[in-house]
Amino acid sequence: MSLLDRRLVVVTGKGGTGKSTLSAALALTAARQGKKTLVCEVVARERVSELFGRPPSGTKIRELMPNLYSVHVRPREAMKEYALMTIKYETLYKIAFENAAARYFLAAAPSLAEIVMLGKVWWHAAHDMERGKLRWDLVILDAPATGHGLTFLTVPEAFVGLVSEGPLARDMRGMQSLLADPARCSVCIATLPEEMPANEAIELDKALRKHGFPSGPLFLNGYFESRFSPAEVSAVTRGGPLLASSGEAADNHESRAVLSAFYEKVLREAVPRELFKVPFLFERSGFGLGSLEKIALAIGAAT
Amino acid sequence: MKITEALRGRQVICCVGSGGVGKTTTAAALALQAAMDGKRALVLTIDPARRLANSLGLKELGNEETRIDPAMFAAAGLQPRGEMWAMMLDLKHSWDELVREQSKSAEQAERILANHIYQSLSTAMAGSLEYIAMEKVYEVHASGRFDVVVLDTPPTSNALDFLHAADRVLDVLDNNAFRILLGPMMKAGKFGLRLLAAPSGLVLRTLARFTGAAFLKDVADFMLAFDGMYDGFKLRAGKVRDLLKSQKAAFVLVTSPNPLTIQEALFFYRALADDGIKTAAVVVNRVQRDPRRQGGPDNIPALREALALAQIKDDAGLAERLCQTLSEQSTLADLDRREVERLQRSLAGVPLCQVPRLRKDVHDLAGLWQIDGFLGSGGE
Repeated sequence: MSLLDRRLVVVTGKGGTGKSTLSAALALTAARQGKKTLVCEVVARERVSELFGRPPSGTKIRELMPNLYSVHVRPREAMKEYALMTIKYETLYKIAFENAAARYFLAAAPSLAEIVMLGKVWWHAAHDMERGKLRWDLVILDAPATGHGLTFLTVPEAFVGLVSEGPLARDMRGMQSLLADPARCSVCIATLPEEMPANEAIELDKALRKHGFPSGPLFLNGYFESRFSPAEVSAVTRGGPLLASSGEAADNHESRAVLSAFYEKVLREAVPRELFKVPFLFERSGFGLGSLEKIALAIGAAT
Repeated sequence: MKITEALRGRQVICCVGSGGVGKTTTAAALALQAAMDGKRALVLTIDPARRLANSLGLKELGNEETRIDPAMFAAAGLQPRGEMWAMMLDLKHSWDELVREQSKSAEQAERILANHIYQSLSTAMAGSLEYIAMEKVYEVHASGRFDVVVLDTPPTSNALDFLHAADRVLDVLDNNAFRILLGPMMKAGKFGLRLLAAPSGLVLRTLARFTGAAFLKDVADFMLAFDGMYDGFKLRAGKVRDLLKSQKAAFVLVTSPNPLTIQEALFFYRALADDGIKTAAVVVNRVQRDPRRQGGPDNIPALREALALAQIKDDAGLAERLCQTLSEQSTLADLDRREVERLQRSLAGVPLCQVPRLRKDVHDLAGLWQIDGFLGSGGE
């Protein structure tokens, strides 16, 4: 079963490891396979629409290209959407939620914000119907950075104990069953060939498996393939003033290639997931559709 | 101006910036600098890379001040005139300590520590980790044990979480609206399901339909348990804020040349300024240097000639590979330069230091001292 045949694909990892570009590249691949795909971004600033050269989607679902849509999931709007589904009456919602006490309540219970955001993602993945069938073939969740990302995914587990009754409790059980089902869900990890991101990926993998999330691939972004033999580097760096810049460039490149190979080895040994390398991209004018094409190509075997 | 000059005489240095930009390394390098200058310096770190922590001899957890072994300085060829100390902050533990210290009785403390709402507040609420980190800095500074305290702040996703941490925490601890709502129950000292039946309980009833009553009960229990402690917290938070705004403290903005982190750094800078805090210095880590500054050709025919002159065989397209590598790294260097210039223009007048991308990760005193060379007066 291919990664993109699931209903929900979650991309997790430390901040700056390329989760958003990876989510966008996976979405691009899925859309081209004819799957109607929705990317959900739950971080403070949305990025995916920009990668497709489109204005921010905001909290309303917007089409980025044929079959590909994105939405920025924010706590306040998600809360309202969700509460209205349960409460049905706008006036009652306003009385109950738009007052100082409720605002306090939401601040004091931070997990509540996460629950409603995850709840929205879950609803689109498992319950959002259109003409008698599910509206989306695939939902991709660009999860918050590690630590917080894990808190985000485990929030139903943590809260189902606290809130054992009512619609919220029922829906959290639904979220849990989707997030634990390898036939419907896959949780991927994005990382970089650097010490902190690699260590965090190892920790994250352990924690995700411990909580029973279906293990998706590990994507090693920003990879430098070795390009020069040690003999070449040493000859060029000693090649005199005419080769001074070439020597430094070759040496820099190889030092990053050494780190890439080292962390690839560390990760392959410590993380029991399929590993896909994504090459470092040198994009003079920033990341765009062209970059996504390159990433999609690199991870083709995963999709 | 060198960063170290901008920080002369400051007793508290807070390194702020988004996650993954090398805040921990910068904070440790600044503490090392102070120790070399004859100060008793402490670096308070949150989540250091394991190899750096190990090489400094730091224990896993536990808020313990550890002196960096003078033998380690000797091994790195350094002779500090002062002392360098380090402490790994356990944020949850620090929260618990603060609650114990501020509560009126051991019984009150235990009730708070056991409450679910407290547990989520102290670990997950936006700003709570930032708040407790600054609170700890205040405590260590007030103890007078150190000349300089350098704080490596938690990896905040948002500058406002950091700056308004104290307000948010206090806001949650003192919510009159919620007190009014729960008034009768708070007085009775007990929150019962009876409340949900009361006519005035419409708001609570609706919330309860959503979350279940048990959760509301936890919130009420928390408010009850916290009763009477608010003023102490507020007083303490005020003192922390006064220290951070005083001339004794300095904020160092740490960033990388990545456009997203630069954007976040600018946001931080403005948010600090809105709070009346002047950024003392900016450190840009991992800046790619342009190899072309070394001189030499960067096109294929000229590279072929240069290889021939140096009697290096141009095997397997060596000239082409060199040309491609030069072009890639120049691209990175150009992008980095553009971002650093953008930052410099926006932060006119703030001393800015660039630390180049080093060939290896930094995980020992020698590596930190190399960084100090770019920050001020260490050795390159």
